[in-house]
Amino acid sequence: MFRKILIANRGEIALRVARACRELGVPSVAVYSTADSRSAAVRYADETVHIGPPPVKQSYLNIPNIIEAALKCGADAIHPGYGFLSEDADFAEICRDNGITFIGPTPEVMHRIADKATVRGLMADAGLPVLPGSDGSVGTAAEAREIAAEIGFPLVVKAAAGGGGRGIAVVREAADLSAVFRETRATAQALFGDPSVYLERYLPSAAHVEAQILCDGYGTALHLGERDCSLQRRKQKLVEETPSPRLSEHQRAWLGEYAVTAARAVDYLGAGTVEFLADEEGRLTFMEINGRIQVEHPATEMATGVDIVTEQIRVAAGERLSWTQQDVTVRGVAIECRVNAEDPVRGFRPTPGPLTVFRPPAGPFTRVDSGFAEGDTVAAHYDSLLAKVIVWAPTRKEAIARLTRALEEFQVGSEQVATTIPLVRELLAQPAFLAGRHSTVFVDEFLAARAEPPA
Amino acid sequence: MRMTERITANGGTLTTNTPQETTPAAEEQRLRLIREEISRLVRDLPGPLTAVTAKIGDSQLEIVWAPPQAAASREIVWTEAAAPAAPAAPPVEETAKAVTAPLVGTFYRAPEPGSRPFVEVGDRIGAGQTIGIVEAMKLMNHVVSDWAGVVTEILADDATAVEFGQPLIRVEPDES
Repeated sequence: MFRKILIANRGEIALRVARACRELGVPSVAVYSTADSRSAAVRYADETVHIGPPPVKQSYLNIPNIIEAALKCGADAIHPGYGFLSEDADFAEICRDNGITFIGPTPEVMHRIADKATVRGLMADAGLPVLPGSDGSVGTAAEAREIAAEIGFPLVVKAAAGGGGRGIAVVREAADLSAVFRETRATAQALFGDPSVYLERYLPSAAHVEAQILCDGYGTALHLGERDCSLQRRKQKLVEETPSPRLSEHQRAWLGEYAVTAARAVDYLGAGTVEFLADEEGRLTFMEINGRIQVEHPATEMATGVDIVTEQIRVAAGERLSWTQQDVTVRGVAIECRVNAEDPVRGFRPTPGPLTVFRPPAGPFTRVDSGFAEGDTVAAHYDSLLAKVIVWAPTRKEAIARLTRALEEFQVGSEQVATTIPLVRELLAQPAFLAGRHSTVFVDEFLAARAEPPA
Repeated sequence: MRMTERITANGGTLTTNTPQETTPAAEEQRLRLIREEISRLVRDLPGPLTAVTAKIGDSQLEIVWAPPQAAASREIVWTEAAAPAAPAAPPVEETAKAVTAPLVGTFYRAPEPGSRPFVEVGDRIGAGQTIGIVEAMKLMNHVVSDWAGVVTEILADDATAVEFGQPLIRVEPDES
């Protein structure tokens, strides 16, 4: 096991990792920007290092300062959390050069899965179903038109280096293709520093289903069931649940097979996610592999009893997974919902400010992961995730009732901070969600319909 | 030949290091490179230069220049309230300013082991003067004072790890 683990992140995930460290008996180091000097993770960690001013480029993305902080504290491993440096293969390489273990896949695997156009090809070769699309990246608009004629419309133009729902554009008819192709390349260059894009058929009413994988260095590759993350606003997940309400047992078994095949095809190590789209009949097609811990990992933890972060750390330390596929069963239903400091009434504007009242829910089978406590301030510099509320129940109906109850209990009182709690409560009561038939555009359509004046 | 360069924001110090080569031809070549480097730097750097040091033995070139007027009030003043991890400093008069570490690394009080520290308590220093070095990722970063005044306290020991914003020395600024 590691001597000491530095957590190169902030907020709830930094606290989540620090708790795992505490349970493993490994001292933790929290690094923080000036804006986070009193955060919950900083209060909790065994040691802290101030790494820079509030802007992320000078703090949480400041590789020299993070590496120096690890060396200064004698940390022999860095947990990157999600976002920030978690998918930066160069950072993983710098860690290795400095004798520090990056808790995640190897830099080689990170490079391999970062190019979404290449991964698509790898997965098709391994036997996974992929949507009709281009074979790798597409260089010119003329080439794009040729391929589009084969795929048909609507289709999506996607940044090969993209992620987080950004760098994706839908093309509904041939006339728009050239313009969208050029725009997406420009966006990809601006956002990810790489203009490469690829084409894929667009499924207008698809669901987002992802498999949690966990692999050690001794040839064990596990899947821990799936999460259905179809309740999204503008491609940002709001609610995630396991198991998916829309897959048959047969389809679920295939998803597990596909996920393990995908993990083996890229020689995966650690915790990761294999994303699929499911059409209205529940047929799956491969989307991408995410090489990090996911925001929504607690849903799987609640339903399987597997502590994914602890296993991730153990595997990185060269230990074997403490689970076999036979031991892993998804029991009952777990649902997670994200509570964001955004104002749904004012165009989901982020609402930074002090949390005068902050009383998260509790009670049976209710877990709250948050990086805040009453009296803390939501900083304007970072994402708006305030808390994740996760519940478990034997059935989906009971789980939805429990989550609704928990959200009713959740009190956030502040003159400045608004939350998405009222919206999520409303969404949980919609017939399409209750029936498990909602697609990834359900929330956007719901909000658009409500914004229209009654006829 | 590997060259490393580091320019601190808003004026400051630039150091160029080159590893040692021993032949006379190499020496000649190095001297020429250093001369060219100086001419280029004098041309390119903002603000007037205040010192130039060229050391041939280890091929070290050092240039100190004054920060531009507009950026003179660079705000990196450390506040105790935001520093739960920093050791509590003894109370000092309100007027004293702390020069803080601009990055995480190892603090050195002197240019090399055994030599005289950049500053001692009681020294009069100028704005833009080097007060120490923070080594990070094998790069030597000069830390400069934003104020002209008298050094009243040395807060960080030589060769110790420092974090961002950690107070290194205290300066009593001149009345302005």
